[in-house]
Amino acid sequence: MVRLRQLLIDIFSFRDRPRFERIGFLIFILIVLIFPWMVTSAYGRAVMIKFLLFALFGLGWNLIGGYGGQVDLGQAKNVGFGAYATALMIVWWKVPFWITVIPGIVIAAAESFVVAYPMFRLKGHYFAIATLCVALVWKELFIFWDWTGGARGVELPIRSGVDFVYMQFNSPIYYHYFILFLFLMQFFFVNWFRKSKLGYEVQAVRDNEDAAASLGINVYRTKVINYTIAGGLGALGGSFMAVYYLYIDPDAVMPLDLSILIAMTVMVGGAGSIWGPIIGAAILIPLDMYLGAWLGAQKRLGIDFMIYAMIMMVIAAKEPKGIWGIIERVRKKRTR
Amino acid sequence: MRIKSGVLFFVVILSLLIVLPNLSFAQKEVKIGVILPLSGPLAPIGKSLKDGAELAADIVNKKYPGIGIPIAEWEGIPGLGGAKIKLVFSDSRGDPAWGAEQAKRLIEDEKVVGLLGAYQSAVTKTASVEAERAGIPFVNPDSTSPDLSKRGFKWFWRVTPHETWFTRDLFDFLDGLVAGKSPGVKAVPKSELEPLAVAVENTEWGAASLTEIEKFAKERGWKIAEGFKYPHKATDLTSESRRLTGSKAPTFLFASYVSDAILFVKAMKEMKATPKVVWGQNAGFIAPDFWKTLGGDVNGIVSRDVFAAVLGKVKPEADRINKIYKERSGFDFDGSSARDFIGVQVWAHALDKAKSTDPKVLQKALNELHIPGKELIMPWKGVKFGSPFPGDTNQNELGSGIIIQYQGYPDGKPEIVFPFEMATSKLIYPFPGWK
Amino acid sequence: MELAVQLIVYGILMGLVFALIALGLSLIFGVMNIVNFAHGEFMMVGMYIAYLLSTFLPLDPLLSLPFAAGAGYLLGVVSYRLLIHHILRGPMVAQLFGTFGLMLFLRYLAMYIFTPDVRSIKQGILVGKTLSMGWINVDASKVFSAGVCVLAFAAVYWMIYRTKLGRGLRATSIDSEAAKYMGIDTKGMNALAWGIGGATVALAGALLAHFYYVTPTVGMLFTLIAFATVALGGFGSIVGAFIAGILIGLIMVISGQFVSELKFSFIYAVYFLVVVFRPRGLFGW
Repeated sequence: MVRLRQLLIDIFSFRDRPRFERIGFLIFILIVLIFPWMVTSAYGRAVMIKFLLFALFGLGWNLIGGYGGQVDLGQAKNVGFGAYATALMIVWWKVPFWITVIPGIVIAAAESFVVAYPMFRLKGHYFAIATLCVALVWKELFIFWDWTGGARGVELPIRSGVDFVYMQFNSPIYYHYFILFLFLMQFFFVNWFRKSKLGYEVQAVRDNEDAAASLGINVYRTKVINYTIAGGLGALGGSFMAVYYLYIDPDAVMPLDLSILIAMTVMVGGAGSIWGPIIGAAILIPLDMYLGAWLGAQKRLGIDFMIYAMIMMVIAAKEPKGIWGIIERVRKKRTR
Repeated sequence: MRIKSGVLFFVVILSLLIVLPNLSFAQKEVKIGVILPLSGPLAPIGKSLKDGAELAADIVNKKYPGIGIPIAEWEGIPGLGGAKIKLVFSDSRGDPAWGAEQAKRLIEDEKVVGLLGAYQSAVTKTASVEAERAGIPFVNPDSTSPDLSKRGFKWFWRVTPHETWFTRDLFDFLDGLVAGKSPGVKAVPKSELEPLAVAVENTEWGAASLTEIEKFAKERGWKIAEGFKYPHKATDLTSESRRLTGSKAPTFLFASYVSDAILFVKAMKEMKATPKVVWGQNAGFIAPDFWKTLGGDVNGIVSRDVFAAVLGKVKPEADRINKIYKERSGFDFDGSSARDFIGVQVWAHALDKAKSTDPKVLQKALNELHIPGKELIMPWKGVKFGSPFPGDTNQNELGSGIIIQYQGYPDGKPEIVFPFEMATSKLIYPFPGWK
Repeated sequence: MELAVQLIVYGILMGLVFALIALGLSLIFGVMNIVNFAHGEFMMVGMYIAYLLSTFLPLDPLLSLPFAAGAGYLLGVVSYRLLIHHILRGPMVAQLFGTFGLMLFLRYLAMYIFTPDVRSIKQGILVGKTLSMGWINVDASKVFSAGVCVLAFAAVYWMIYRTKLGRGLRATSIDSEAAKYMGIDTKGMNALAWGIGGATVALAGALLAHFYYVTPTVGMLFTLIAFATVALGGFGSIVGAFIAGILIGLIMVISGQFVSELKFSFIYAVYFLVVVFRPRGLFGW
């Protein structure tokens, strides 16, 4: 009982974080909860859903990229595993959505575990490019294979009304709470993770490998397990994508752009902070979607991307620790 | 308290962004959402699709006397008291997920009466799912994957013939060559055209094309020496071209978008390939960039298409429209721009017939729509939705394809060589080769 | 036999161009440990310069090569001064995204100016000419490009290993701090590395423009291949980039012949296998 209580506290408690963060989080949750009732614009709701989806992706990537300090440019492969596991199992055997989530996560984690072994012999840019290569190989294989539907992708049968077995709804409000639920699950998992023994080990390895090793931490093993977990977390959002868009193909669920966008949201928000992915996604996703919707179909193309690119460059040059870095700095100045 | 102001900032921005697009003012107009690949690798094609749709809307909205098709006489849609068609364009980026989001935005926020688009079959798949869920008509004039009309959707109508159709045309064309039906060309022994070598890009559309070609080849008894998919947007297609040339097949069939089509032609020229027939599955092979870039090297290449400027010879209406189009964009009307032109035209007729913008009434109007061939600029028998091939629903059954051949470039025109009775010029056979 | 000879020749010719593209990336990495996502876009700029000069002046595309290289040099130096210099002190992730932003910016600036239309060079001494030797028919401009690639490699090699400037570059790459104390203008060296990197890749672009098409989105795939090339050869190694470029050209052409759909996978798989056994690439230090 005591241990269970401790576990629950570890999962739901933010006592180690300053008060303003806890208040900020509460406000955030409140906004997200009432959002579909405040905003009736379908695009606004779609933006919110995509924001939550990318915040969820970012949380998973943050494990490896933020807490682990390894630049992984291949998270899209895990998204793809999740999406394909769900889509194929629903199409082949009519398995309920919630059951398909598990194999998705297991496959993504298992694949990550297997490739992590050779990959962590590499460091820095070699590692980053290796992750990129692995993801691209998977994408090509999914296009090549026939049993995955190849380039023609997988179409899920449309169901009418509200279906909690296959998680298909005729209103975006349901999808909103659905992705919010998944997001919160992942969020509290990461909250537990960062305070767990493994979480501390991962961060120690990031800060100084030699020091961590001298403390008796198995550096290699820590990295591999961390990468495995991060891979598994990536699949959850993929499963959502399958039932949300109802059509997936390798170009949609495992492209390089997706890997980079996931990493970028975390970077912009602030890698290594649990708030980073949320802040980053809150900035990048609405920015991208509204710029694209307004400026994407003009006579002269490309303005939307240029604005987007300028913002990226300014953040990278002026604030490499992301928005969260600014917030931390301001706060430190005040308390001093 | 910095985080609070940060959150506040985010909320303010977000709500601003959400409110602003809704501030459009109500006018007497009917909004049709158009989703097209306006950025990304297919942007060149997207641009000509957009031009075609815009021209059609203009012709519906303003009076263009003397063209000879009904919509040119209209000023707005008569059935709706002269309401103007307003096209709301949206960029799909060629990304299925993005296309679905845009469809949602157009349906719910822009309150469009219906949708048009989205060129790439994969994007059409996701975008039409949104329309189906929302109960909003989606008219698809430009995607040709056979799967699209086999899904039994109730809110999806396809105007263009699909790949099954075009592939049947291809084999009719080849069989016709063997039978000596092509005007001015002596009967070609089948052994001179066999085997076939097929290269398609590895996308939804490419894969569908290959399947159809293999199916018909088997049915009609044509041997295939090579049939493979290649990675689209490739850096280099030398070895793929070598594979085609090396197969010694006399007939090359392609399904490629424009950049790959250019690379293939350049590489085959480099290798001094000597095919008898080079056939392209529309898309890249008819894009203006294709012949602009390659100039004289396109001579002799045939491509399936739905429209060609030379149709003006047999259809004066097409010629008049083409003149207007050329003034506006500098190019002849081609299969891409013409198809989205027809898309808008179908919308105009449906709205006129329905006399309402209510989706249910529109659905009925589209189901019962019949535009006779003489009111179109296409060489079709008309537009009427039905089931021309097994499994099809709401597929235009009166459409048809043509096969064009580039002749006399850089200053030439694509000439129609199939159907044989419509041919505007003698087929150049065998393929003249590259100099 | 015929097949083998053809594949090898095509593979090497293509590989040399890949090698030249990768050269600048490798050099930049060697000097300051940064990977440039915008590399392919620098190449795109070189392609547009060759296209514009040969279409509107009209200048023979061969004569546009120095202009393209010069523009690439300028672009490299300017990007260094305005952006890269500021992101160098950040973590690796921030560096990647800074250059990724640069890539998006250049690509869509080109789209804004030139529209997405696909273009190509039509006139030139070498454009569209084919050389025939026995089994092999090959585009004359490809052969010429391969020659320029070899020369460019020789020139860069000579510059780095035989000149004072090159010594400065090498010193900066081995230990930037120490080089600074020795009185080397490391900032200038960094800018120089970016300049040379930009110049070589823009040169490669101008060469490619002879037999390739020009469009704003052309860069990304070449960037990815350049990444694999550089990492395979070993970051910072000039010889490594040369060998790896040829190797990748060969792999691509050979796998394209047999399993075209998976040809990029083969490149990545070979990269993966090599670095697993040699974590710093073939010639990395």
